[in-house]
Amino acid sequence: MNTEAIKELLYKMADDLLIIGHRNSEWTGLGPILEEDISFSSMAQDKIGQSQALYVLLHELGEQEPDTVAFTRNANQFHNAQLLELPNGEYDFSLIRHFLYDHADQLRFEALANSSYEPLAKVARKVKGELKYHVFHANTWVTKLGSANAESHARMQAALNHAWNYALGMFEHSTHEDILIAENIFIGEDSLQDKWLSNISAVLLKAGLSIPSSDTWNPVLGGRKGLHTEHLGPLVEEMSEVFRYDPTAEW
Amino acid sequence: MIISLDPRVNRAAIEADNNIEPLKDLDQWETYEVFHQKRRGDQHMHVGIVHAPNAEMALIFGKEQFGRRGLSVNIWVVKTSDVFTTEYDDSDIFETVPEKQYREAGGYKVMDKINKYKKGL
Amino acid sequence: MYGNAYIDPNDKAAMMLAGEDPQKLAEFEARIARGEKIEPKDWMPKEYRKQLIRMIEQHGHSEIIGALPEGTWITRAPGFRRKLALMAKVQDEVGHAQLLYSAAETLGKSREAMINDLITGKSKYSNVFNYPAYTWADACIIAWLIDAGAIINQVANAKGSYGPYCRALDRICTEESFHLKYGHDNVVTLATGTPKQRELVQAALTRWWPPIMHFFGPSDKISNHTEVLMRWKVKMATNDDMRQQFLNMYVPKIWDLGLTLPDPNLKKNDAGKWDYTEPDWEEFKRVINGGGPCNAERLAVRRNAEERGRWVREALNTAESKYIAPLA
Ligand SMILES: [Fe+2]
Ligand SMILES: [Fe+2]
Repeated sequence: MNTEAIKELLYKMADDLLIIGHRNSEWTGLGPILEEDISFSSMAQDKIGQSQALYVLLHELGEQEPDTVAFTRNANQFHNAQLLELPNGEYDFSLIRHFLYDHADQLRFEALANSSYEPLAKVARKVKGELKYHVFHANTWVTKLGSANAESHARMQAALNHAWNYALGMFEHSTHEDILIAENIFIGEDSLQDKWLSNISAVLLKAGLSIPSSDTWNPVLGGRKGLHTEHLGPLVEEMSEVFRYDPTAEW
Repeated sequence: MIISLDPRVNRAAIEADNNIEPLKDLDQWETYEVFHQKRRGDQHMHVGIVHAPNAEMALIFGKEQFGRRGLSVNIWVVKTSDVFTTEYDDSDIFETVPEKQYREAGGYKVMDKINKYKKGL
Repeated sequence: MYGNAYIDPNDKAAMMLAGEDPQKLAEFEARIARGEKIEPKDWMPKEYRKQLIRMIEQHGHSEIIGALPEGTWITRAPGFRRKLALMAKVQDEVGHAQLLYSAAETLGKSREAMINDLITGKSKYSNVFNYPAYTWADACIIAWLIDAGAIINQVANAKGSYGPYCRALDRICTEESFHLKYGHDNVVTLATGTPKQRELVQAALTRWWPPIMHFFGPSDKISNHTEVLMRWKVKMATNDDMRQQFLNMYVPKIWDLGLTLPDPNLKKNDAGKWDYTEPDWEEFKRVINGGGPCNAERLAVRRNAEERGRWVREALNTAESKYIAPLA
């Protein structure tokens, strides 16, 4: 088993989950209606909980404690896709990002449920129900708002357009990907992206939303290698403000 | 501009005198009554309501507002306006006269007859 | 959290019952005296409905506004355990608002009307949330001691007479026990932690003590009005009784941690009651009437949230919807 390759996979997944969970948690108490506030917060908690489970696996592979990894690294040590660090914007963008990311996340975990790396397969099987709800939530919202009224349609389409190339960046190739595929640990980003495209296309069609035409596709890469927008630095600093206030302390 | 201790509030760049139009009727949508089943085999029970614009979203909301601590295996939602109820004013319709032994198990005392019959043998 | 019946001292008991059908009133009071609950469609005195709407609505507002001071730290909670727990706690408070507004709706006031009254400042909410959470430790003190105060109030109100409010409170109290444990665990961790942590938590406690002493409100005026509300099981305990109960349960726990409270007169007297310096009720009034450090911010943030969500709600509003108050 190639530990470096597995760590690379775990880091990008865990960082994705932590950063989107953190972003989505910013809506808690400020959502568009009480009921949705509660639902969105639950999913943010799920994401952060899932990221923690993956940092635990990393710790078992010799990395530092989950808290240390999550709360003391600098932005350029994070491997999340840039899509997930973008500011929340309005609810249209938050929902579209949630939709685009969660479809990918569900497929990724679905594939990993059969991974030859059993600890990860176990986590993947455990979170199946959470992800099913997340995708159900995302599909329902995107379908309804995509086709509700002119304003909601326009907003959702604009959010989709804005998010699109960042979303393609989720499937950036990693250095050790071939090893993961060869060792049946993970199916690889290309086949993940194919499945993802077919799943989201079906929902977007129902929503009356269109994917930007393929000649404009230009994946925003770099996140997996620690290259980030100007938004991640402040996010990480904010997230770890208290933790770093007294690094010797137990909080 | 509001200067807050909450970085989220600062990011939202909120004016202190941001007067808004009042919410209109039905801004919060209509309500659905939520029923949940604690585990298979149990009856569904009423647990409360959610405001939702349609049934699918009522399910999505009901699941988190009433089932987020894993205390349910199934939920139903039904529009409040589709529920028919008796009136509390008419509670007395449930007060039936007690002389209805014919539909209670205790209303049937066969042993008396059997014992009498056996004695006479 | 956090409902306290704010009772207008100018309402006269005599006015309360004016025009009510004496026979219906007698039946209503007899039902409450028998320990039975009142349900939404029951006949009830106008004043009973009015006071309950006011109380439950204010309680709901306190939950949603109460999500803001703790929410101040939601993006900064230190470590996974605290981050997840704070998210879950603030989420619960939002859920409490949902439950309470629903209970108030059964009395005939729509959620829209309640939100409108909140964001225009017409309706009140618990005064404590007009104070800022300067540090992480402030959020910890809130979670422990404000929730502790709220629980005393809510446990009492859960034995009240109005069915939907009691049902909401039963569910809320279950969740509050997590909040209280979470808060206590946080404060204990800080108080038994590094010198910097101890300093943080002591400073937060000192800041929050006056608002905490205000939490249950000034001593009730003994009036016929209050008596009627207590007979109707709308008001379940006097403000002073609740404050005494709070001090009795929590002051020893605070002192156990070697923390100090900024009141030299605080002590249990020979009669088993707590003596304390009378809180500054002028300040209390000033804050209730909008003059607190965060009143303006809290309402502006709520208005902003309602406004940002408006397009979402409007888009999904279907013409055939018609509003009917929830059933129970
Ligand atoms: Fe609460
Ligand atoms: Fe609470």
